[in-house]
Amino acid sequence: MASSNLPRRIIKETQRLLSEPAPGISASPAEENMRYFNVMILGPAQSPYEGGVFKLELFLPEEYPMAPPKVRFLTKIYHPNIDKLGRICLDILKDKWSPALQIRTVLLSIQALLSAPNPDDPLSEDVAKHWKANESEAVETAKEWTRLYATGE
Amino acid sequence: MMEDSCDDEDFYDGGGDDDSDPDSVVISYDGLMDHDSDDFDDLNSSNLIYYHRSQNYAILNEDDIRQHQEESITQISTVLSISRVAASILLRQYNWSVSKVNDEWFADEEKVRKTVGLLENDTPLPADQELTCGICFENYPRDRMRAVACGHPFCVVCWKGYIGTSINDGPGCLMLHCPDPSCGAAVGHDMVNELASKDDKEKYNRYFLRSFIEDNRKTKWCPAPGCDYAVNFTVGGGNYDVTCHCSFSFCWNCVEEAHRPVDCGTVSKWIMKNSAESENMNWILANSKPCPKCKRPIEKNQGCMHITCTPPCKFEFCWLCLGAWSEHGERTGGFYACNRYEVAKQEGVYDEAEKRREMAKNSLERYTHYYERWATNQSSRQRAIENLHQMQTVHLEKLSDKQRQPESQLKFIIEAWQQIVECRRVLKWTYAYGFYLNEHEHAKKQFFEYLQGEAESGLERLHQCAEKEFQGYLNSEGPSLEFNEFRTKLAGLTSVTKNYFENLVRALENGLSDVDSHAACGRAGSSHNVGGSSGKGRGGKAKGSTSRSSSSKNMDDSGHWSCEYCTYANVRSSTVCEMCQRHR
Ligand SMILES: [Zn+2]
Ligand SMILES: [Zn+2]
Ligand SMILES: [Zn+2]
Ligand SMILES: [Zn+2]
Ligand SMILES: [Zn+2]
Ligand SMILES: [Zn+2]
Ligand SMILES: [Zn+2]
Repeated sequence: MASSNLPRRIIKETQRLLSEPAPGISASPAEENMRYFNVMILGPAQSPYEGGVFKLELFLPEEYPMAPPKVRFLTKIYHPNIDKLGRICLDILKDKWSPALQIRTVLLSIQALLSAPNPDDPLSEDVAKHWKANESEAVETAKEWTRLYATGE
Repeated sequence: MMEDSCDDEDFYDGGGDDDSDPDSVVISYDGLMDHDSDDFDDLNSSNLIYYHRSQNYAILNEDDIRQHQEESITQISTVLSISRVAASILLRQYNWSVSKVNDEWFADEEKVRKTVGLLENDTPLPADQELTCGICFENYPRDRMRAVACGHPFCVVCWKGYIGTSINDGPGCLMLHCPDPSCGAAVGHDMVNELASKDDKEKYNRYFLRSFIEDNRKTKWCPAPGCDYAVNFTVGGGNYDVTCHCSFSFCWNCVEEAHRPVDCGTVSKWIMKNSAESENMNWILANSKPCPKCKRPIEKNQGCMHITCTPPCKFEFCWLCLGAWSEHGERTGGFYACNRYEVAKQEGVYDEAEKRREMAKNSLERYTHYYERWATNQSSRQRAIENLHQMQTVHLEKLSDKQRQPESQLKFIIEAWQQIVECRRVLKWTYAYGFYLNEHEHAKKQFFEYLQGEAESGLERLHQCAEKEFQGYLNSEGPSLEFNEFRTKLAGLTSVTKNYFENLVRALENGLSDVDSHAACGRAGSSHNVGGSSGKGRGGKAKGSTSRSSSSKNMDDSGHWSCEYCTYANVRSSTVCEMCQRHR
């Protein structure tokens, strides 16, 4: 494990993530690169993503924590703030980032985003349009996708 | 002679001479109001640049900007009894409007404090000997930790990183907050001064200065490339033209190059029109087709459809169908009524295409007419600016030597060139105006074209005199006897041209509304603003009205008569104005 020149902060954060994981979230660093995390988020209860297991990747750039981590969904998901490539529209990942935030807070925010999609600040125009025009139908599609892509293999 | 020239001064800038205020003249140069010089100089310099009736802006250099900025900060800091750091944060939030800060603050101080993150009381760092940094998670002794008013502790290293990152992200650093995401406490200039690197501090200060200009509704940077001056503008009066100390003139409103008397909307339409590449395509569509034999583009420049390609090809073909002309005989229904055209016409196919081509061609020819003149005046103005510069730096000195005239007596040449530069600009924009002038408003169009034509021909005479005749005196062996005549002529032409352009500018600014009263006068007596009657002599300040008392120089003490149209002072014996050839 090449952790020799890893900042203390990243080591501490990693230790805490492993020893006291947040409910519904797991994040573990890759063997070969301690800045790269394999993340899993469980679809929150009462959301269209309930029952799904969503894989994400999280990377801590050189400037971290002055710059935010880079996070992306690997599992296909039907959500107005997440695009086809899995990129996430979340303020704290962009201009609202603060170095006092952590990996844990970021992942909790993403989990919350699954519970509360915001079609008014869309990343995926089509999905957002669908969401606004016919929410129950859009929710059905999201459930369908969850079943198709986020359960089992 | 012409002792009533001070009327002009009054008329133009509302009183008195202005050499104490360099901003009151567009291109300021020393001795503008030199009262020791002869009368002629005085007449022309006092109202040379006509469009600057009142100064509603100030040009600021960097020191001026800092001074204004410091003054605003002092004002807020004093009135609100807060630190200068806090005052700058507030001003920055409210776009540097002192009155807005005052209003908001006294309406709801608590809300304002919350908005910008100014806490009322400082929370000190926790009392522990050792504190944990919220960013790097390391423990440090208390003196290695810093916090803003909220007391959230971060180590000096992390603060430096935080501030440095933010400064390098752009002007958002001026609104920096405590790194704690739940805390909105503002990070001010003082923290930056303590913790940022030298380079970053410089950047921050630059953003701070720029913010004062860019976020302030009353100020803008001069758009000229490389110019660091800013302009502070006081709205009112409807004239948006601003001239920077760098000599660039621009429109305050749309930040395009100065375009009075044409409005911003017309200018932006025109600029878009010019950049529309499709016009070129239209030209091809309207005017030329490839020769069916050699494929070179052939232009149709006559009415008939029989086209002969240029040598060596010389292929004869039909413009409409591109078939060989030799086949357009009996079999095809005759030479001048290409039957295929007729057939197509019946079917409505070629007819439509041809009609569209014709329309495109007409609109293009029209556009080309205006564009060509617009562009030519632009380049002519550019050359005139160079000439003016050369005059000021080289030629005037040489001429002064040759003609044994003090340079102070040669200002009329500079003034002539300044007038040329300005007139080229106005004339150029009137072509954009003309292009958009409704074709169906015949009277207006005629009136406009008349005024434009007068102005243009006046300008051509002036330009020629300043360019060509001047050369003779510059290159002469010794002092020329006729030099005084040259002076009289050039100064006269300057003044004449100025008048023409005044008429033109005023008419366009009135939307050519004088056209009705004007139409009755006919061409010869068409100067609608001749204050011809002696009743409007000196002191008749007809400010804002269309008549100009200053034109009314009839006969003065020295026996000259002043031309009603152009104000030129003619000798008593002449019956025709030497400048504009109008009868007395
Ligand atoms: Zn730290
Ligand atoms: Zn704080
Ligand atoms: Zn400038
Ligand atoms: Zn404008
Ligand atoms: Zn040919
Ligand atoms: Zn034909
Ligand atoms: Zn005249």
